[in-house]
Order: sequence, then C-alpha cells, then structure tokens
Amino acid sequence: MDIITLHHVKKYYGRKENVVKALDGIDLTIEQGTFTAIVGASGSGKTTLLNMMGGLDVPDDGEIMVDGVKLSGLKEEQLAVFRRKKVGFIFQNYNLIPTLTVEENILFPLELDGSAPDQGYLEEITQLLGLKDKLDAFPEMLSGGGQQRVAIARALAVKPAILLADEPTGNLDSQNGQNVAGLLKMTTELFHRTLVMITHNMELAQLADRVVRLQDGRIVS
Amino acid sequence: MLENNNLRICRKLVGREFQFHKGQSLLLVLAVTLVCMLYTFSFCLGNLTYDGFLYSFRTIYGSDSHIIYDNITEAQAAALKKHPAVKETAALSVTGVLSDEMLENRNVKLAAVSEGWAKATGAVPHSGRMPAEKDEIALDEITMNSLVIPHEIGAEVPIRWQSEDGEEHMHMFRLSGWWRNPAGETDSCAWITEETAGELCDKTADTLMLGVTLYRPGDVEKQAKDMLAELGMEDISYTTNLAYNEARQDYAGREAMAFYRMNLIVVLCGVLMLCHIVQLSAQQNIRFYGRIKSLGMTPRQIRVLAVMRTVRVCLPGILPGWILGFLLCAAVAPQVVVGMEQNPAFAFFQIWPFFISALLTGATALTACLLPVRRAVRSVPAEAMRYVEGAGRSRRRRRKSRASILRRIALTGLSRQKKQSLLAAFSLLLSLVILCGVWTVRMSYDEEKYLEGMALCDYRLADASAASGVQRYNPKSRSITPQIMEALLAHPAVTGIGQACTREVLLYAKPEERAPIIDTFEEVDEYGNARKAYMADDPDWLAGYERMRETGEYTGIVTGVDGLMLENAMARQVFLEGSFDQSAFATGKYVLAAGADSSYIRSTPPAGSRITICGREFEIMASIPYESTLLSGADSRQAQYNITYYLPHSAFDELFPEHGIRNVAINIDHEELRAFEEFLDQLLEGSGVDVFSYGDYRWTFQNAVFHRCFIPLFVGSVMLLIGMLNFANALAAGMLVRKKEFAVYESLGMTRKQLRRLLLWEGAGGYAALFLLLTPGTAICTWLWGKWWLAHTNTWCITWRFSLLPLWVSLPALLVLAFTVPLCFLKVVTKEGVTERLRVIT
Repeated sequence: MDIITLHHVKKYYGRKENVVKALDGIDLTIEQGTFTAIVGASGSGKTTLLNMMGGLDVPDDGEIMVDGVKLSGLKEEQLAVFRRKKVGFIFQNYNLIPTLTVEENILFPLELDGSAPDQGYLEEITQLLGLKDKLDAFPEMLSGGGQQRVAIARALAVKPAILLADEPTGNLDSQNGQNVAGLLKMTTELFHRTLVMITHNMELAQLADRVVRLQDGRIVS
Repeated sequence: MLENNNLRICRKLVGREFQFHKGQSLLLVLAVTLVCMLYTFSFCLGNLTYDGFLYSFRTIYGSDSHIIYDNITEAQAAALKKHPAVKETAALSVTGVLSDEMLENRNVKLAAVSEGWAKATGAVPHSGRMPAEKDEIALDEITMNSLVIPHEIGAEVPIRWQSEDGEEHMHMFRLSGWWRNPAGETDSCAWITEETAGELCDKTADTLMLGVTLYRPGDVEKQAKDMLAELGMEDISYTTNLAYNEARQDYAGREAMAFYRMNLIVVLCGVLMLCHIVQLSAQQNIRFYGRIKSLGMTPRQIRVLAVMRTVRVCLPGILPGWILGFLLCAAVAPQVVVGMEQNPAFAFFQIWPFFISALLTGATALTACLLPVRRAVRSVPAEAMRYVEGAGRSRRRRRKSRASILRRIALTGLSRQKKQSLLAAFSLLLSLVILCGVWTVRMSYDEEKYLEGMALCDYRLADASAASGVQRYNPKSRSITPQIMEALLAHPAVTGIGQACTREVLLYAKPEERAPIIDTFEEVDEYGNARKAYMADDPDWLAGYERMRETGEYTGIVTGVDGLMLENAMARQVFLEGSFDQSAFATGKYVLAAGADSSYIRSTPPAGSRITICGREFEIMASIPYESTLLSGADSRQAQYNITYYLPHSAFDELFPEHGIRNVAINIDHEELRAFEEFLDQLLEGSGVDVFSYGDYRWTFQNAVFHRCFIPLFVGSVMLLIGMLNFANALAAGMLVRKKEFAVYESLGMTRKQLRRLLLWEGAGGYAALFLLLTPGTAICTWLWGKWWLAHTNTWCITWRFSLLPLWVSLPALLVLAFTVPLCFLKVVTKEGVTERLRVIT
C-alpha cells in the first residue's frame, strides 16, 4: 500500500535566467513500512523533496498525498497539526530545543498536541536508544550522536505515519553514523514505520529497501 | 484534525527561555521598565496638569462645592440636602454684603460662622480664631488690607454693609482672627457669630446659600438644573463650580493633552528600543520558530508563545517603571503646578495613569516582539529554519577597489547589520531633531528682552491695599510708612529709589479738548470697527467714556512720581505728541498725559494745552500711551476710563499733602543682594507691603520657559539615550555574530593587531556614515521646525537663536562608542580558541 505519493511535483527558485529547478516534475510513490534512501549530489533537490513530503515546504505545482492526506488542500494550522501527528523529522543538526531537557524534547510534539504519552512505548524507545539515564540532561550536555538519538526518539514518540531523516548522520563521525543509521533502521522495522532518509553515504544507502537517485531535480533511478 | 492546540507547552518554553537567555531577557526587562517609566511619567504629569487646572479654577471660584444655590429658604435647603444626587452640603446664612467702595471688585459676604462652608472655601483663620462672642468678626487679609484694618486681635473693625433689601448699615466689630488670601480672591466671607447675625438682620431665613457636593460631578450645570426641576424650585438661582464647567474642563484637557501627546513619541521610542533589542536575536528567533513549527507547532501556538514571552518580560519591568515614572513626576510636579503646599503628584494621585501605562507598555512590547513572529508565521518552516538576516537583498556588484584588504573587509562589514544600524540612526536622528528643535526654541526665548519689558527695577514694593489685581488702591492706606522709606534710602546697597503716589480726581474736558479724543475712539479702523468697540467687554470703561463724551467729566489719575519711578515711567515711552524735558518737568509746572488706550494713537488733550487739577493749572508737556505695568493694584470702576497725569512728586505733595505711597521702585548693588533681601524681610515684616522683585520676574520667565520646554527636552534626552543604546547594541550584536568570521580570518593568518585595525576602520566608516546622516539631517529639520515655530508663535520676547548644541554634544559620545564597543567585544568573541570557533554551526 502506498503511503506517500508525489505526482508531477515542481519547485523552482529564482526568476527568469536565474531560475533554479530544485524539483522538476517528480513522480514518486513510497510503500508503507519501507525504508527508502534518497541520494544525489549537493543541490540535486533531496532536501527540497523531503521538505515537500513533510509539509515543511509547498510545491509550485503537482500534488502530494501522505497517508491519505492531500497536502495541497491544507491550511497553515492544518499543516502544522499534520506534521505533528503524521510526520517524524530527524534533521542533520538535530533541531533540539536547548532550553528543554531530553525528556521534554522527546515529549515536545505530544505536548503540542496536548495528548498523553504512551509511557510503555516511550520507555521502550528510550531504552532502545540508550537514553534512559539521560532524560533529565539538557541537549548541550550530550554528544552529537546522543543528540541525534534524542531527535530519533522525538520523531518516534508520536508514532508518526512516516519518518523523514535529512542526513541524520551528516554531523557524526563514521562510527556514530553507523550506530545511528542502524538504530533508525531497527526502530522503524520494530515499530513498522516508513522511513525516508537522505544520505550521501552509499554504505548507509545500502541498508535501504529502495534507493532513489536525484539529479538536477529529477529522479534518475 | 485541528482538535488540539495545547498552550501549556508555551508557558514551559517561555519560562525556560527566560532562564536560559538571562542577558537578553534582562535587557528587555530594562527596556520595558524604561518604557513604562516614560508612560507613567507622562500620564501622571498630564493628569496632575489637568487636576492642577481644575484646582486653580476651584480656587478662582472660591469653593470646593460643585453647585452653590443662592437665596433659598431652610425648607428648600432641606429638600436639596435629601436629593439622591447630593453627597454633602454646606449652608451659609448670609446677613448681607460688605459695601465699602474699596471692596467694589470683590464680593465679601457678612455671614454667621459655617464650619462646613469655611472648610470648603479655605476661610478658616490661621491667626486668632473664628468669632465666638457677640460683635466679633474674622476676615481675610485682602479685605483687611483694603479696609486698612490693623492685623491685631481685638482691633476695632468698622464695617459698612448692605442688607438684602439694599439698605446700608454701619457696625463696629472686634477682630477675632484672620486668614491668608481667600481661595478665590474675588469672593470671601466675613464671619460673625449667629447671635450677632440675628441681631443685625432678622430675615436670615430668606438668605441662605447652600454649597452642594455631588456624588458624580459630571455635567454639573445639567444636574443643578435637573435637581431644581425635580424639586419644583426652578426659580432659584445658582452658580456651578468653574472646575466642573465643560469649557473649563475642555481647556484643562487641552493643556493636559500636550503631555498625553508626548506618549506618541514614547510609543515610537519604546517600539524602536524594544524592536532593536528583539532585532538583535531576530535571526535566531525566526529559526527557532521555524524549528518548532516543523515539529508541529501551529501559528496560533507560536503567537501565544510570543505573547507569553512579552508578558514574561513585561511583568517584572512594570512595577519599577511605575515607581521610577511616579518619582520623576513627583520631582517635576512642583514646577508644573505651582503654589501648592503638598506635592501635586501626591495631592492629585490617581490610579488610572498606572493602569493605562501598564497597558500601553504591554502593547508596545507586544508590537516589538510580534515582528519576528509575523515573519516566522508567514514563511514555511523550511524557509524559516534557514533564515539569514538581510540575506539575498543586495544585488549590487561591488566594484574593484584599490583599497587595502582590511579596508575592503571593513566596508563589507558595514553593510552587515544594516537594518539594526538604520534603526539606531533613525532613533538618533529623531531624538536629535527633537532636542535641537526644543533647544533652539528654549534659546530663542529672550530673558533679557522679557526682563527689559517687564521688570523696570530690581524691587517693587506695593501698598498692602494694592498688592493684588482685584484690590482697589485705598489712598488712606499707609502701609509704606515714612520710616520704611527712610530706612530704604539709608541702606548702602540701594543705588536708586523712586516712589509713585496716586489720587483719583474728577476732571473736566472742554468740548474743543475732548473732540479729538472722541474722534480717536469713534474712528473706524482698517477692520471696520470703531476703536471703542474693542472695549465692549469692559462696561465700566465704556460708561466712563460715554460720560466724558456727553458731559466732559472724566476720572483723572494724578500720579506723582520721582527718582527711579519717573525713570521707569519714561523708560519705554513713545511720545505721541510733544517731548520730555526733565528739568522743565521738575519745576512742577508741567504734566505728562497718558490716554485711555495703549496703542500709539493720542487719546489725551493735546500737548501744550492746559489742565486744571485741584485748582492748580498745569501745561501738558507730552502725550504718551497708557502704561499698565507701572503701578500695582486696581483703580476704582469709574476710573476704568481715565487719563493719567504724571507730575513730579513734589507737586503731588503740594496738591495732596496727606497721602500714602502706592509703589516704590528700588535698584540695588547686586553684590549686596542677599544682605538686602534679609534687611527687606525684617523691615517689612507684618506691614502687609507686597514685594515683587526682579528675581520674581526672572523666576516667572524661567518657569514659563521650563513649562514650555521641559517635557520635550526630557523625552528627547531619553530618546537620545535610547538611540545611543541602540547604536551600541547594533555594534555589539555586529561583533557577537562574527565569532566564526574572525576565527576564519585568524586561521588565514590575520593577527589580533590587524583585527583591531579592521574594527577601527569599521568604526570610522560607521561613524562617518552616521555623521553624514545626522549633521545635515538634524540641522535642516531643526531649522525648518524652528522657523515654523517662529512664524506661528505669538510671544513677543523672542530672538531667533539657532542652536545645534545637543548634536555637538552627542557626536563625540557617538565617536567614542563607535570605536570602543567593537574593541571591547573583540575580547569577548575571541576568548575561545580558533578551532573551537570554527566548529560553530552558523
């Protein structure tokens, strides 16, 4: 069953002779429960594509459907709630809130929603990601790998339909990168999530069920 | 899908943010304090100005009561007292009115003691006591001085009074006490006991006055009328307190509006200042909002977060702002509302200025804090997260330059923080224009010109019966005694002295003498009005003129002057006809004639004609215009239209051998000022003689200029301070964001010395840009403003003096800031090692 469908999605930046075609008519479907890696050179449109899937950016043309929700029809408020409930983001620079503790960061999307956390599930995640004894720490007290694990836990906390990871290992050394990627794959399999991950690292891409290659805003394979 | 919008998380985020960014939060709290202080100051000052005016109107009216009903019966008074709109009343049983002609400009009621009325009108004796025994009387000092009653308890007081039926009576009282000038100079009471009142007049029931204080003093006129209509007593006459008169309230409101208008500048100042502080971390904030938006925070939640943030910085800032603003107001208040024993800020304390100040402070802070939120909410999260302040706006290509690399980098550095720098420059320009404009106005008020026009001598003594403008000068008064004159003449500090004595006499102008005078007043001027028409609001003047026109009889004020008084009388004179020959004048055969008009048109008998005063003939040496500043006090109503004849004091002595002195003019050696003032205080103690000094004129002038200029000068100074803080902020912020940039330079081999030189170049460039903007901008705006003001003001004591002093004082301070702030912050940003700084993620 397809969970993400992109139909003829375009995104251009700039005007006239300076126009940059970040996405130039992308058609893509991603099946539920799969791990898809998006690879490509810098400026090929990977991050733009991921942002479109997560409702962080809006296309100039085309349609995006995620878990049965047509994104183009949503207003600002609705998009925010969509992101909160359906999408788990993992950014290269973690995007943790420095003023909140690890636990508060993990619970942040749930708190935004006002919904009660599933304690058992959260304990399982934090146990799995090795955060159990770091819940009261602030992000700056953790290493890069530790911070990225918090970001993964936060992304999983709301039991999202899709997990979008934008070069989650980009700021980590190779050992930590391998660990984080492994954790990501493991947790998505364990909790039956759909994972879309941008990476430059072909070794990590090999872990995916499917590899999508982008070039100049188009899918080449 | 939209069911949840939890706001609890906002509270948590705000609390944590306050804890984590203490520096910026503290800066914001300080800014809020400053803004709240300004609002509180201006609203409290506006409020006390308004109340101060109402207080002065109440003083003129002479009572605190809202309505005074005249001539009512006991039964009517009882009915009015029971009316639901009435809070309290004070009744006055009026026996009659003092009818001595010396009190013709005033209304002094002879009445049985009424404690309530006395309290409401401030007519409680400060010397002696209220009458308690038969034939005792208590008076105010103005009445006593006008009637030449000695200030001694038990002194005999002959009083001429008129009962309600118009009958004149004379009665001898004993003085039991007196109080200083009554609340309203024109209205007062002469207190007697009820027993005495009963004996003097048995018809007191019809002559009751009732002062009414209402629960709600709005539209007093209507309430007074409605109450009478409801009680079926429409025929009763009443007056309403001037302080509650709509027109007077409008006037007071207009005066207070100047202070409220100042708040527009405070809004601008406050928003600029807060914006600037918020702007320092705008990029960080927008990215933060983008980040939390990407995690699912809705625009509404973000707005609530921003509002909560604002509330969080406002709460600790408001209380100190209130206190500082009020203290500042209390310090200034005695200069704004003069003549009150208690500080007006405390006397007119009200809570609403604080409430409004808090609200406006919140609104100002919110306006500033919501700006970055607006940007974050408008952009999609992906855009907000990678937001770079001012990025992608400059499309200009830089020309190749031959300048050194340091200077080129410095030039590029200048274009960074453009928005912050522009904001700072704008607030500086605005404050400097206000300061220089008001300073130019302040400098243009010419004290010398004013003093030359108003103060003819260092001291002017006035007889006790002519101390106030409502007092008719009593020629029987002898408060300036020969002993006082002798002591003054003998004092070594006195460099010049002169006296003026006056006497009203009935004179006659022959038809050929009065014809040209009549022509003067009947002539139609360029505006199509006869000159006499301008005196329509003075019926006594018109009556006197008509009498002269029809019968030739008129009041002449014979004024004997000598020494300094003669010099003063002649000092600014324009001779409309004839000329002044001092030696001929001293012979006592000549008089100078001043007409009943202050314009430069002759309204006296012609120069060279002869006038007979008290049987002695004088020749009119010259004709001069009417001069109002020479003598104090008032003349009789019949003398409203008069011709004044100045003659030497010796001649006046011969005409009126028994006379008092109305005014004395004194000049002293200014080095002996303190000693002379002490001497004067001792000499005149208890005499009732009024002293008006050159210093009083100067104080009056300086006080008026202070009133006009203080508020805008204060606001301008605060704005300048804010502008300078903004400028320093922009410089500091410009340094803090360049941590990595400096690390890159250093990694490429730039030494600390070169870095410092780079910053000096940047400082010089920034200062030059500021100088080029501020100097011509301030000069042009100030010039235009000053010229506009000059064209629209109707003050006579002005000499145009363009001054940019505040600008010249500010420029060196800005120069110091431009060089020192970046150098100080260089130490902060280069504290960490190069590699650590290079690792910083932008």
